Amino acid sequence: MSYLIEARNLSKSFGQKTVLQDLTFSLPAGEPIALIGPNGAGKTTLFSLLCGYLPASSGELKVLGHKPGSSALFGRVSALPQDALLDPNFSLLTQLSFFGQLQGMNKSTAEAESRRVLSLVDLAANADQKATALSHGMRKRVAIAQALMGSPELVMLDEPTAGLDPVNALQVRQLIAKLSNEASFIISSHNIFELERLCGTVLYLEHGKLVQQSQVHSASTQGYLTLTLEAGAQTDVLPILRQLPGVISVSDSQKHEYVLQFDAELAPDFDLTLLMALRQHGWRYRMLTKGQTLEQQLFAVTAKQA
Amino acid sequence: MPGPLPLLFRQTWLYSRFELHRLFMTPRGWFALAAFTTIWYFLLRYPIYQASVQLQEPEIQQMLSGMLGMVGMYNLLNWSLPELSVYWAMTVFFMPLAVMFSAADQTCTDRSRGTLRFLTLRSSRDSIFFGRFIGQLLVQALLIGLSLLATLVLAAWRVGELPAAALNAALLIWLNLLIVLMPFTALMALCSALVRSSRLAISLAIVSIGAVAGVLGYLVWHFPDLRAVLEYLPGAQLPMLLGAQGWDTLKHCGLPLLQTVVLLIAGRFVMQEKAL
Repeated sequence: MSYLIEARNLSKSFGQKTVLQDLTFSLPAGEPIALIGPNGAGKTTLFSLLCGYLPASSGELKVLGHKPGSSALFGRVSALPQDALLDPNFSLLTQLSFFGQLQGMNKSTAEAESRRVLSLVDLAANADQKATALSHGMRKRVAIAQALMGSPELVMLDEPTAGLDPVNALQVRQLIAKLSNEASFIISSHNIFELERLCGTVLYLEHGKLVQQSQVHSASTQGYLTLTLEAGAQTDVLPILRQLPGVISVSDSQKHEYVLQFDAELAPDFDLTLLMALRQHGWRYRMLTKGQTLEQQLFAVTAKQA
Repeated sequence: MPGPLPLLFRQTWLYSRFELHRLFMTPRGWFALAAFTTIWYFLLRYPIYQASVQLQEPEIQQMLSGMLGMVGMYNLLNWSLPELSVYWAMTVFFMPLAVMFSAADQTCTDRSRGTLRFLTLRSSRDSIFFGRFIGQLLVQALLIGLSLLATLVLAAWRVGELPAAALNAALLIWLNLLIVLMPFTALMALCSALVRSSRLAISLAIVSIGAVAGVLGYLVWHFPDLRAVLEYLPGAQLPMLLGAQGWDTLKHCGLPLLQTVVLLIAGRFVMQEKAL
């Protein structure tokens, strides 16, 4: 099987400091992949290794079967690098067209492609402006636009919505969701709810180690429901939920949010049972989600491991 | 996508051409051109024009021939026009210094700004490094050509017509100057790959030349047999070059070309290894 990314015993150190330690994982093409972890976990370093910005200290890393930075990946892999800026001396159109020409397009195709990707991020009207004339959020969107030039097979986005206002963040999420049928995405973010909505696979890094590689909506989560009730004066919710037939455990993970673990074989219609119980007690709910949230999935496991 | 080698050539050419675009299509480039024009106006108007008029006097010619002959530069006055003699003597020492400033920002600012991260996703580090270097040479070739053309126009205005030998001499000076500037441009490519700002690149280049000259001078002082190594420093061939005439000047192109190759190999190594 050919993988999007294969890492074997991958390590990266800066002097005495080991930032990534012995990572081994394989990622197939398909649904977007989330790269998640606390500050300093090594996410950006892993991104830099994948993009060929940094050499690995040891181990093996392959992207689409090639060494990162290899000429075989030009035009096939693209990225939104963190904190990278365009040249302030040239207009967006000039620079994106130049990128297109580097990717093998002729001048007119490169210009048309530049206008297309700028319109994807709602910046077509700013094509003749320089990067210095744009706000932080607009610069971020231009950087996302350059990552979409041509037809990349793999798009790596480092914090794609950081610094964007909610409207533009939503637009970027919608764009990724729309394009995820055409390309594979790897997204690094601190926004766990955003990753949950977009991604199918999660790589969880902590202290430079791969703590978890899991599916967001895997079969192991099928015996869980996450219930969010509307704010109100509900009392005794926990004992009542615990008495429902088929329930194994109930925990209140956040205010008005309950995670119910149930025996799916014993109670195949548990969701209906739960809804009837809500109606019986007059509790109004905001959300009922099948499975655990990504946050619960990740942190329940890491807490257990700790 | 074409194969790796055609792709390297294609992308290198794109980067080289983009340097011309940077010169002619950006306000920064226009300022550089305006400064270049102003400097050359004053150089042509005063030192070159005045000196070429003075050089018409037989007594001054005789005196200078004697003086220059003593330092092995007796051929300096034998260029077909006095304007070209003054141009050649001035630019051969002044241009390397100017190039150390103008070619300092080949990759450093793009690295510190993160722009190289966008570029290396679509092109090799080799194409960026060599493309920028060749782009600098193209810019220099163009600007030297323009300044030589202005010098010829000045001479034609003074003498009324331009001898055919003057065009040949101008072509030789153009070629020689490009060769003289190559190791300095390559040195700046190396320094630019090492540091994160053009100011640091200039400082590093000046300090490196000074340090190498100092260390070699110290060694030669203690071991006089090593004197020959001083002849391998960038620009060491310039006095000999000024003493040569016509196509003989190209006899001295081996050393700067060799220095260029060595500096480019070192710069390429740094560019490949450097984190972005």
